[in-house]
Amino acid sequence: MPMTTSGEPAAAATAAATAGATATPTLGPPHIERNRHAPIVRVTHWVAVVAILVMAASGLRIFNAYPAFHRKGETFCCYPFEGRAIPNWLTFGGWLGGARHWHFAMMWVLVVNGLVYVGYVYLHGAWRDLVPRRGDIRDVTQMIRFYLFIRRDHPLQGKYNALQKGAYFAMPWIGALIVLSGIAIWKPVELAPLTALFGGYVWARYWHFMGMVALLGLAAGHVFMVFAVDPYVLPSMITGRYNERFAPERRNGRPFYHLLPRWAQPTEPTAVDAPPAVPGGPQ
Amino acid sequence: MTDARDFERRIAALTERMVTARGGHALDRRHFLLTGGGTIGAALLAACGSPGPKRAQRLLDYAERKNESVERVLFRHTSMDVAGKNARNAGTAFPAYFIAPTVPIWDASQGPWALEVSGMVATPMRFSLADLQRLPAVTQRINHYCVEGWSAIASWTGVRLRDLAAVVRPAPGARYVDFQSFDDDYHESWDIESATHPQTMIAYGMDGAFLGAAHGGPARLYSPVKLGYKNTKYLTKVVFLPTRNGGYWSDQGYEWYGGI
Repeated sequence: MPMTTSGEPAAAATAAATAGATATPTLGPPHIERNRHAPIVRVTHWVAVVAILVMAASGLRIFNAYPAFHRKGETFCCYPFEGRAIPNWLTFGGWLGGARHWHFAMMWVLVVNGLVYVGYVYLHGAWRDLVPRRGDIRDVTQMIRFYLFIRRDHPLQGKYNALQKGAYFAMPWIGALIVLSGIAIWKPVELAPLTALFGGYVWARYWHFMGMVALLGLAAGHVFMVFAVDPYVLPSMITGRYNERFAPERRNGRPFYHLLPRWAQPTEPTAVDAPPAVPGGPQ
Repeated sequence: MTDARDFERRIAALTERMVTARGGHALDRRHFLLTGGGTIGAALLAACGSPGPKRAQRLLDYAERKNESVERVLFRHTSMDVAGKNARNAGTAFPAYFIAPTVPIWDASQGPWALEVSGMVATPMRFSLADLQRLPAVTQRINHYCVEGWSAIASWTGVRLRDLAAVVRPAPGARYVDFQSFDDDYHESWDIESATHPQTMIAYGMDGAFLGAAHGGPARLYSPVKLGYKNTKYLTKVVFLPTRNGGYWSDQGYEWYGGI
């Protein structure tokens, strides 16, 4: 497959036409973005990384004290690993009491940080890049087709592609589920109506756990895509600076492929490199 | 900016190396991923399974004090625990915990068991099991919430602690209550608000029978408003105090308040 060495993707016009009904993103001239992510977003992102890791690992240590969901004397339908402890190296806090102290201290960091992020994104209008829109389903299929090599050129879908939008939009909601179910199992008597909303203490514990699984699943996918598709965004979440030249759209970035800018990507073997076709030779 | 140019120059040099080295770019790509992932992984592994940095302890203690004040604000005498109608009683699956190596059984050679209620009260008294039964009895089917995360349902019969307090009349300065047992040196002290919650009781019956030795007989403290470890079994003394007096598990690092 011949690669263009510079300039627009061959199918840019087509891609832009399929990208969205309302906005039609196009690739502008390559430039260096100074503030791809606002300082508040950058700070809350990394605080969330630490808080989520500590909350998940200390939560798993707490879970290990009773790695099951059934009420005593009953059975539980919906967890296949009932009674099987989480490996200790995945946990944090050392012992049940220690893990509880970390969990109940870090929960404030997680909640305040989350509220600052959501508040900023709401007031500043950055949510417009994240909120689902009509056409996102089609955009998701376009992205998947691109990653599966069915579609040739990276779709142009704005700051975040539809897969990213889905993940980043879901995260605060899953976070809210985790926080509310967490409060429900922290105070099942004082806040009994909240616990009842989750189906009682046993189920609130289950949703708290499953929310964690979902959030870590999305986070793992996010980290994988950062390293496998667009490691150039890593500095942008620290300094805010992003070299547009390395945008996946310009590199045709797929997981593990095309990590280099297009102009630096190795080209297919040319006719000179290929063994000369000798008539009658071995085929 | 010069660093932008420098960045691009370095990228160009890097790609030059990748493209010219035979098969080099695949290796370098892997190398990049391994280094990046490895650094993050190593940092995480270093933290795994550990109790966390020692210096954090003061912050954690501070957070626990703040959490206690939040829990006290949330606390209501009108908040009640009710076990779900469709939920089953734990029955024989109700865990039996004690500190002593064997099931603690009241040593009758010291005389018959009695509950001593003392401290900052107008009339310190001793209640035999029969005395307790003469006080207004309540039976409530409620959840047990263990610090470990499990819950269990049983029907408990006994006398409300607030009814007991009405008999001995604690002084206004009695802000805490210590519940002591004959199970080694087990005790847990409570704030008076939680102790006088309508669901906090001295239980002598469980699931329609007298409280057995496995579950804290002859009588135990029982309440859904505190975690299981705060509910002293094998009860011998209820002491009204002006200050908190720690507790068996609280002194080992579990939260003293332990409210639900």
